[in-house]
This record gives sequence, structure tokens and C-alpha cells, in this order.
Amino acid sequence: MKLKKGFVIRVVGGESVVVPVGELSKTFHGMINLNETGAFLWKFYNEEHTVEEGVAALCGEYDVAPEQAEADVRKFVETLQANGFTE
Amino acid sequence: MMESNQKLKIEDVLEQNGMYVGPTVGVSMLPMLKNRRDTVVIKPKTKRLKRLDVALYKRGDAYVLHRVLYPIDGGYIIRGDNCYADENVPEEAILGVLVEFFRKGKHVLCTDKKYIKYAERRLKTYKFRRFFVRLKGKIRGICRKIFRTFFPKKSTN
Repeated sequence: MKLKKGFVIRVVGGESVVVPVGELSKTFHGMINLNETGAFLWKFYNEEHTVEEGVAALCGEYDVAPEQAEADVRKFVETLQANGFTE
Repeated sequence: MMESNQKLKIEDVLEQNGMYVGPTVGVSMLPMLKNRRDTVVIKPKTKRLKRLDVALYKRGDAYVLHRVLYPIDGGYIIRGDNCYADENVPEEAILGVLVEFFRKGKHVLCTDKKYIKYAERRLKTYKFRRFFVRLKGKIRGICRKIFRTFFPKKSTN
């Protein structure tokens, strides 16, 4: 799974916000607010990775139980796919 | 972890989030903001805007981001950095004000001294730039006339 090209993360007032640029901004009108782990996963999925790799990366970066990390990554990936943010 | 507000209008996002972050569209604020490349951060207007502020307002259904030249009673005289016509915008049409932006990915605060110098310079050189734009238009017109004199359009009859 990989994120579509055309999104950029901007840190504004300590918050991570994803906005579209270029061609994508013609079809996507809005902004996506991410928390810290959301921003981490967003950057991670800028490259092609599986859910399992996302879980391993999240566990490596944060002090989180693997079960919780898997649930979070799956939810995150499902939201990305449901909103058409993936390639 | 993630919240998206794709279906909301900018004014709704400003009210809910207290901030709108989005791409720039159009050429009216060139060279500062390039179409669909740069990102602007808008905050709701909390006080009367002042000279050099960049206001977000609505013109019909379109959102416009242009610079305040000076405040007037009940509104502002506003113009885009790359425009040559002033606009009288009523106070109630103003949705927010630009507080920071990302130009070519570089973060710029609207309180930054370098940025303020740029904005001042843009206003100061307006007459000079307008003169050259008009001159360019006239030269283009003359060239077109000369071209038509030597290469007239062929009649289809």
C-alpha cells in the first residue's frame, strides 16, 4: 500500500496538516489533520509498505503493544483507502 | 489519528478548526504564491485588517486572497500582488487573514521582516510595473498591426 502522490504535510502551530498540491488539488478540496502517530504513518506510507511493516515501524518508534499498533495501523490504512488517498 | 474535512466550506473549517490550511489557486498573488504549488495558512479575522495584510474574502462563490492596500470606512481597498485593478471589499466579506505560508516548501511567517519588506516593495513598485505592462501591451498591438500589414488575412470568398 502506498499513498497517492500530490499530498504534502505541513506543520502548523505544532499540528500536522496534510494538503493537496498540483493536479490533486483540483479534485481534493480539504485538509487532513493528523496526530503525531498519524503523521508518522503518513510519512511511512509515502513509500510502498504492507500493514505488517507499518505495525513493526510503529512499534519501533513508539512504546506501544503490538496488538494495539496493529489495530491502529489497520484503522489508519482503512481510512486512507476509504477516502481514496492510496494508489 | 486522522480527520478529513473534504466536504466543508473554507468558512466552516475556519469556524471549526480556527485555521484553514490549503493550496493556492490562481496567479493573482504571483510571485509570492504560485498556482497549486504553495500552501497558505489562514486564521479567522479577529480585528480590523491593516495595510499589507493579505485577506481571504468571497467574491460570489469564489474565494479570493489579495493584499489590503488601505482600510476605508466599512471595508478595504484590496489588490492582488500580480493584479492591476483595485477592489473595494466590504468588511463582512472578509473571512480571514493570511498568517503564514509555505513557498516552495519554505515556511514564511507574515510577521517576518523579510516578508514585510517584500510586501512594501510590491506596493511601491506598482506604478512602475503597471507602466511596463501597458507598454508591453502597446508594443504587442503595434507588432500585430505591422504583421497584418505585411501578411493580411486571406479572404475565404
